[in-house]
Amino acid sequence: MSQWHPQTEQLVEFAAGTCHTGISVAISVHLHYCPECRKRLSELESASAVLFEHQKPIAVSDNLFASVLSEIQQGKVTESVKPAAPARATSRYPKALSSLIPGTLEELEWRSPMKNLKVTHLMTDESGLIVGLHHMKAGGRVPNHQHRGDEISVVLEGGFSDELGTYGPGDFIFRTEEDVHSPQADAHEDCLMLSVVSAPVKLTGALGWLINPFLKA
Amino acid sequence: MSAANVISILSSKKARTMTEPNPAAEQWADALELVAKRQDTAAFERLFKHFAPLIKAFALSSGLHKQGDHLPDELVQEVMLAIWRKSASYDRRKAAASTWIFTIARNQRIDMLRRLSKYRGDVSADEIWDLESDTELFGEIRQSRVQEHVRIGLYELPVDQRQVMAKVFLEDKSHQEVADEMGLPLGTVKSRVRLAMKKMKLSLEAYDL
Ligand SMILES: [Zn+2]
Repeated sequence: MSQWHPQTEQLVEFAAGTCHTGISVAISVHLHYCPECRKRLSELESASAVLFEHQKPIAVSDNLFASVLSEIQQGKVTESVKPAAPARATSRYPKALSSLIPGTLEELEWRSPMKNLKVTHLMTDESGLIVGLHHMKAGGRVPNHQHRGDEISVVLEGGFSDELGTYGPGDFIFRTEEDVHSPQADAHEDCLMLSVVSAPVKLTGALGWLINPFLKA
Repeated sequence: MSAANVISILSSKKARTMTEPNPAAEQWADALELVAKRQDTAAFERLFKHFAPLIKAFALSSGLHKQGDHLPDELVQEVMLAIWRKSASYDRRKAAASTWIFTIARNQRIDMLRRLSKYRGDVSADEIWDLESDTELFGEIRQSRVQEHVRIGLYELPVDQRQVMAKVFLEDKSHQEVADEMGLPLGTVKSRVRLAMKKMKLSLEAYDL
């Protein structure tokens, strides 16, 4: 089970649907691995539903029910009794990534900004958050780097460690711009992570001026 | 508008709702099952009469009408159609009917707001807030217990906490946006929400009911 979770505020905003798409994707991926946060989310949604039911009702236009019904009866709404197909079984990745990773990892466009690290860009959201994948070679260490903005990483496969901890599948790692770290993948297995960054990372260290994995994203 | 509405309704119903269990929960779950099994339009109409005006209030609370007078009714229509379409995937063992309907309204509102902002999303709200994926059964009973705690907790909240809860949970505003709107430090908004959640017995950290 995952040891590193989104903050309460992040989960609250996820439940309310108010966080940016990039963060929502990261939280959704974490939820795939974390029954504890799924339970918390279910509580938050239950709480939201209570608030929702306590709103002052506002009348809808008189003919609205008739027009909904006629749309149904004209057969435009067809999938009524068919339960949704279990999409998840077909992919090895969480559902939130199914549109972003439609095929295999090899089909994505990877760049290798430095030894031991490959990165790919999946999307940029409405607020400019960049969502991508990071692939670290088993045992590989990424040079010390600092973030100009916040970074969220969610481990998908394998694991890594840095100055602050050791992480495995599903772990949700939130770094603010003050943090400088140099992650190293576990020795026995490559590490695949989802990464959400609010601004291109800036490498510190000796080679820092050379490399910016997101420059051409 | 809706934070104020929530608050006024809260105080007026106070005494009554605190002791009552919630038979409505059963009624709406039954109606959803009738829609799923028999395409029962009478049951669907009961759901519409109760939930459509709440969905409209939910639409207005996010300011949807400011982008077009027709939009709140359009959201109601889309949500009600989605309820019809997805009713077969509703499982009362997993969620209270009101929770399930809230999540549909939330997802449809997210998609509509994104369409309006001209942002072409790469991922739909249903993919991110996956309604069908739960494998574990939290259970209607457990959910209604959570909801009961929330109901009771709500009445005990001081006005400032209630107001912030309504804004953060319903009005499509992040903690930061609520802080900006109310002229409060972000930390104050966060701590009001946390205090309110504590009173409603919602998990903040590792916690088991
Ligand atoms: Zn978690």
